Amino acid sequence: MFAAAAICILVVMALALARAFLGPTVCDRILAVNMFGTKTVLLIAVYGFLTGRPDFLDIAITYALINFIGVIAVLKFVEGIADSEQQPRPDEF
Amino acid sequence: MSHDIVLKVIAKLLIPFILLFALYVQFHGDFGPGGGFQAGVIFAAGIILYALTNGPDAAMRIMPPRLLTPLAALGVLLYGGVGIATVLLGGHFLNYDVLAHDAVHGQHYGILLIELGVGVTVASVMLVIFFAFITQEP
Repeated sequence: MFAAAAICILVVMALALARAFLGPTVCDRILAVNMFGTKTVLLIAVYGFLTGRPDFLDIAITYALINFIGVIAVLKFVEGIADSEQQPRPDEF
Repeated sequence: MSHDIVLKVIAKLLIPFILLFALYVQFHGDFGPGGGFQAGVIFAAGIILYALTNGPDAAMRIMPPRLLTPLAALGVLLYGGVGIATVLLGGHFLNYDVLAHDAVHGQHYGILLIELGVGVTVASVMLVIFFAFITQEP
């Protein structure tokens, strides 16, 4: 059961990664990377139960935390770039 | 910066739990995944989240950079001090057995102290690097 869930999560991660590479706008890519991070948290948790080591939940919590802070930092960075350019925002935003 | 009200409130709710989780990773590191390095990084991540939501000046008010550099040295000093203390108590360098009457208790004290030193140093150095990056002129 856990193995099937892990494979499903891997498929979803591949789809999110494809969107991150293909995404036409910056927002698409950021959202895809955020989703990829969330799926990584789920994968770590499922893998922990798959191998009988529920300690992995601690690592999953840490990963969720780092993912959250990282996405906020990237969003601030993109916002700063958009604000620093004097001309109106490019079409990407 | 002022229109990020949702982000500010969520960060305000999350930061205490992030710091608490860092302490859990620090002191539960003997029994589960974790330890001083990871706890230091998580603690610094909490402060970095505060800096991202409330601005670098507010973060530097609660964690003054002039305090961080001595703290980074203090952690190393604690680590080395435990080693020197074990030598003075008659053991080898970082041989925790001599720290208490019982070898098992000595190991506990020794690991707790050096992990505390590692945690303090890592958290301080992470914040020093972060502040150095966000305060430099573009």
